[in-house]
Amino acid sequence: MSNSMRLPAQPGEVIDRSRRIDIKWNGKKLSGFDGDTIASALVANEVRVVSRSMKYHRPRGYLTADFWDPNGFVQVGDDPNVRSGHRLIEKGMTVDPQNVWPSLDYDVKAANGLVGRFLTAGFYYKTFIKPQRLWPVYEKVLARFAPGGVVDLDTPHGLYDKRYAHPDVVVAGGGPAGMAAAIAAAEAGSKVMLVEHEHHLGGHLLWGSAEDRALAAELTAAVETAGVEVLLNSTVTGRYEDNWVAIAQRSHPQAIERLVKARAKMLVVAPGLIERPYVFAGNDKPGVMLSGAVRRMVNMYAAKPGSRAVVFTGNGDGDAAASDLERAGIEVARIVDARNGENILAAHGPAKSMDSVELADGTKVEADLLVTAVGWTAPTSLLNMAGDRPSYDANAARFFPNSPIDHVLSTGGIAGDGSHEELIEHAVATGRLAAARAAAIGHRLQAATRRAASVDGEAPAFAADDRPILPRDPHPELFRSTTHGIVDYSEDVGSKDLMAAAAEGYDSVELLKRFTTATMGPSQGKLETVNTVAVLGEARGETIEEVGTTVWRPPYAPITLGALGGRIHEPARVSSIQPWHEANGVTPILAGAWIRPEHYGNPESEVRNTRANVGITDVTPLGKLDLQGPDVPKLLSQLYTNKWMQLPVGSVRYGIMCAEDGVVLDDGVTGRLGDEHYLMTTTSSGAASIWEWAENWLQTEHPDWKVHVTPVTTGLTSINVAGPKSRELVSRLVAHAGDGAIDLDGEAFKYMQVRQGTIAGVPNCIMWRIGFTGELSFELHVPSGHGLHVWEALLEAGKDLGVRAFGLEAQRIMRLEKGHFIVGQDTDGLTKAPSTGMTSLIKLDKEDFAGKAELAWAMDTPLPVVVGIQTVDPLIVPAEASQIVREGTNEILGRITSSRMSPTLRRSVCLGQVAPESAAAGTELTVVLTTGERIKARVMEHHAHFDPEGARLRG
Amino acid sequence: MANALEFESPITKRYPSGGSRDLALSDESSQTKTLVRAADDSAAASQLGVAFGGSRHQAGVHIIGQRPTEWLLVGDESAAAAMVVGLDRTGHVSVIDHTHARALLRLTGERSADVLSKICNVDFGDHMTPDGSALSASVAKVGCDITRDDASGIRSYRIACDRSFAQYLFDAILDAGREFSLTAVGA
Amino acid sequence: MLLVPCPNCGPRNASDFAYGGESHVRPNPNQATPEEWRSYLYMEDNPAGWLKETWYCRSGCRRFFTVERNTATNEFREHPIPGTKLGGKA
Repeated sequence: MSNSMRLPAQPGEVIDRSRRIDIKWNGKKLSGFDGDTIASALVANEVRVVSRSMKYHRPRGYLTADFWDPNGFVQVGDDPNVRSGHRLIEKGMTVDPQNVWPSLDYDVKAANGLVGRFLTAGFYYKTFIKPQRLWPVYEKVLARFAPGGVVDLDTPHGLYDKRYAHPDVVVAGGGPAGMAAAIAAAEAGSKVMLVEHEHHLGGHLLWGSAEDRALAAELTAAVETAGVEVLLNSTVTGRYEDNWVAIAQRSHPQAIERLVKARAKMLVVAPGLIERPYVFAGNDKPGVMLSGAVRRMVNMYAAKPGSRAVVFTGNGDGDAAASDLERAGIEVARIVDARNGENILAAHGPAKSMDSVELADGTKVEADLLVTAVGWTAPTSLLNMAGDRPSYDANAARFFPNSPIDHVLSTGGIAGDGSHEELIEHAVATGRLAAARAAAIGHRLQAATRRAASVDGEAPAFAADDRPILPRDPHPELFRSTTHGIVDYSEDVGSKDLMAAAAEGYDSVELLKRFTTATMGPSQGKLETVNTVAVLGEARGETIEEVGTTVWRPPYAPITLGALGGRIHEPARVSSIQPWHEANGVTPILAGAWIRPEHYGNPESEVRNTRANVGITDVTPLGKLDLQGPDVPKLLSQLYTNKWMQLPVGSVRYGIMCAEDGVVLDDGVTGRLGDEHYLMTTTSSGAASIWEWAENWLQTEHPDWKVHVTPVTTGLTSINVAGPKSRELVSRLVAHAGDGAIDLDGEAFKYMQVRQGTIAGVPNCIMWRIGFTGELSFELHVPSGHGLHVWEALLEAGKDLGVRAFGLEAQRIMRLEKGHFIVGQDTDGLTKAPSTGMTSLIKLDKEDFAGKAELAWAMDTPLPVVVGIQTVDPLIVPAEASQIVREGTNEILGRITSSRMSPTLRRSVCLGQVAPESAAAGTELTVVLTTGERIKARVMEHHAHFDPEGARLRG
Repeated sequence: MANALEFESPITKRYPSGGSRDLALSDESSQTKTLVRAADDSAAASQLGVAFGGSRHQAGVHIIGQRPTEWLLVGDESAAAAMVVGLDRTGHVSVIDHTHARALLRLTGERSADVLSKICNVDFGDHMTPDGSALSASVAKVGCDITRDDASGIRSYRIACDRSFAQYLFDAILDAGREFSLTAVGA
Repeated sequence: MLLVPCPNCGPRNASDFAYGGESHVRPNPNQATPEEWRSYLYMEDNPAGWLKETWYCRSGCRRFFTVERNTATNEFREHPIPGTKLGGKA
């Protein structure tokens, strides 16, 4: 049967008969030619039924045989919902019908068709609503009846891509008008991107006359000469604010699909027109086709859609289809001319084919092909997205753009009719207008951008729209015959359903749409919107204009989730010590964008070693801000709740920062390095936001303050050296005399002091004594280009001291043993500063600081309190976020915010937030474990479970 | 001893050599980078001689006006030091060694703008981003300072980012450039 | 995507900015009543029309600035003052 319905060579065919391509359809081999779409290959091989309809599972053949065909969805390999009227065949392609079970020929679900009269609009809503407990069952059954292919969960990741573009003009549509506009704009100096949905430029000229094809060839050549960037097999799917234009490019050589995000100075909309189906009995039978579909099949693909045709025509395209068929040797049994008042009533035949057409005059004509040409729908989607609300012209029987939009112009069939010359003239004028306006926009853009090349003089005025006005050809209004048929093919909604719904009261177009799902299927209104409105108008006894229409929203054509995702960009940050971590058995943990060492095998042993000997840990992600200027103390006073005006050079101070609502924002230490030079540290997660917070205060409230804030987080590799032997270890690496020497003696370099000097031969290091772990510790901040060197030097120099690296988990355990709270873990988005117990750090006698007003009021308000908590049974570690409840009730009094088994104390230790009345030391708490079991715990006197006096860290 | 220390680049991966050099990505992180902050109408600003959005070369130093009141000086250690010594400190002027804080990559080739356009939303056309222009933008979701610095007529960009992001950014640019046969050079 | 006119960088994608919301003058924290302070923190005028608002050019020049935007049309017009405080937001 191979190519049994292939016509002899046609003058305009786009297939290459010298290159045969074999594909598999529904398990059987068939062959087509290079250039065939799946649809044309199937038609040429006498395949008439390609799918089953969604609700009634009626056999369906090609209707429009292009991208928008509601019946042409197929599965290609593991790719579901492929539009077979658009996808080109490739060698070895496996194509299968979808939504059929067990097969295309014998579809069990077609039984729905037998009871079809019960499946009226709203059937699902009404039937499957009660009892609600059965909904999961209904859902399963309904899912089997839903259309769509099979998603293969093992499909490998494909390459999807993204790209930004900044064209002066984007032209949506590569028909004659789009090409002419693109050429004119490019010749006027614009950078132009021409986007064509199909695989060839030319639009309807490609299936037209010899002169049409000659014009297409001429324009195509001129497009190239003009230097227009052409994206074929690509669709402008959306137009957003300020002409942000989304283009789905399906023709990239490497990527499956690519999303082009174009900021177009001007958008020209030239999509042509979409042919509209006619509503009559049997209008979805295989064999009923639109005139454009027939002409494409015959003229472009030399595929024979039938043997004996009836042509129902209301316009020149229908007439042309009839003559194309005759020229190709297909018998035209009857031309039914709507312009003479003739009409068709029904297509008849057995389930899977058509054998006759019933006319309004009572005659019945034998035919296996019924061609309809009843007019067009203007795809005004992109104009809708730009704010246009197109208006209906009854004389021309279609919608037209209504309100001019400065940055979006339309041309071609969507804008009007006329001869080729008139349409091209309009398109050229549109291209020139777009170029002129783009130049004006470009001028303003350059003038407003300081890095841009300078532009002379005033921006040119925004060019006025003086394009010729296109005529509108009269066209009979042909929407529905006197019989009922399908209106929305993808959703299986008929004119009867729509009228019934209107009778039930769903008689506004937006309600009707949602109730019946008409226009909500894959066609998205391209074919059925106007018919839906027309049928509703009939039901309401109103005109189309009075009924109004729904608004088209993006996307204009479907776009894959892969393309929307594009390349996956997940920035990852590492410290300069990362190569060592990786070479030494690190278990990494992702903290924000940072990849950090969680531990190196055994965090408890890392804790014990640090408490007994000395440990080093990489704390580079700690936010670090370099502050310089005479007014730094003012800034610090503004940001922190405590006082900063008198911090001596060489000292470090801890502080808490609050937002203006009094909620704790961040905490950390800041050291004074010189007269006007400070280094601030923030939490790792707060590094970026605190920098912005500081800039915010400086730029908006206090622009007179002289302070420069510079983030240096990754410029300094931060290493915490902790443990009783830390001083000994550090002393082996610091310079003891000369430039960069640091005296580590406990009297010369006290707890909460900062020194600068040379460490392991690296100059300009900063070192301060603080104690997050509770041990004697030195935090080194080393220029990062030598961070790894200093880290390795510490490990080398401290071998005999038992030095070992410890990770984030050991650090967390030690800080919890020591009772240091972590902002964001032990506090939350409602925790005001007094809750942390740090009331001595809130200095309300300062003139101003962030959060002051709220904190003043908070001081007199009972607030939850962060407290140290120990379970009575020392071996139980309640999960973090375990609730604390009032004994014998479910009343929540607080929660555990941090919990660990302490390797040092060999018992469980916690921090938690509790209601103020439960915060007193010794209060017995009831903690609900994740198992539901309730255990006893006690509020401790201090946050610190270990060394509350701080003797170790001050050592 | 300090001089004997070798600068550890944030680009720690090794890449196969060979391939076309028409489009190349290289690591310039070891260049000395000095951040100067001063008012736009200060004596230091007029000495530096370039405003926000522009850049120029002087005495072996690439002076980049990377933000209002903010300049980055890039060059070898001695040239950068000489320029800093001569800087007029009148008013509120801060000088910060940014050598270790910022990684510096260079992307060179006629198609370099096409590579960047895949991962950055800026218009790299000649009108908006001519040779010498400086801007800041997100590149593959990393905040970067980009300076167009053509080399003997060939389109070239210097891209600076936080040191910690450098390896990720290097790989992200290479990945974006694969369709144009972008090659890693000297890393 | 909206283009936001940064006074330094020129018009840029809105995603390059942090939106600071309506621009309101920060009350004196020593004199404001709780009602006044919380109105400053949480209440917005939300007009359909011209609105003075603050943006932060996060991907670009890192400057806070105030512009007027017509919330009904997304048209911008420049406003001569630098940014104002961002309420309770950090």
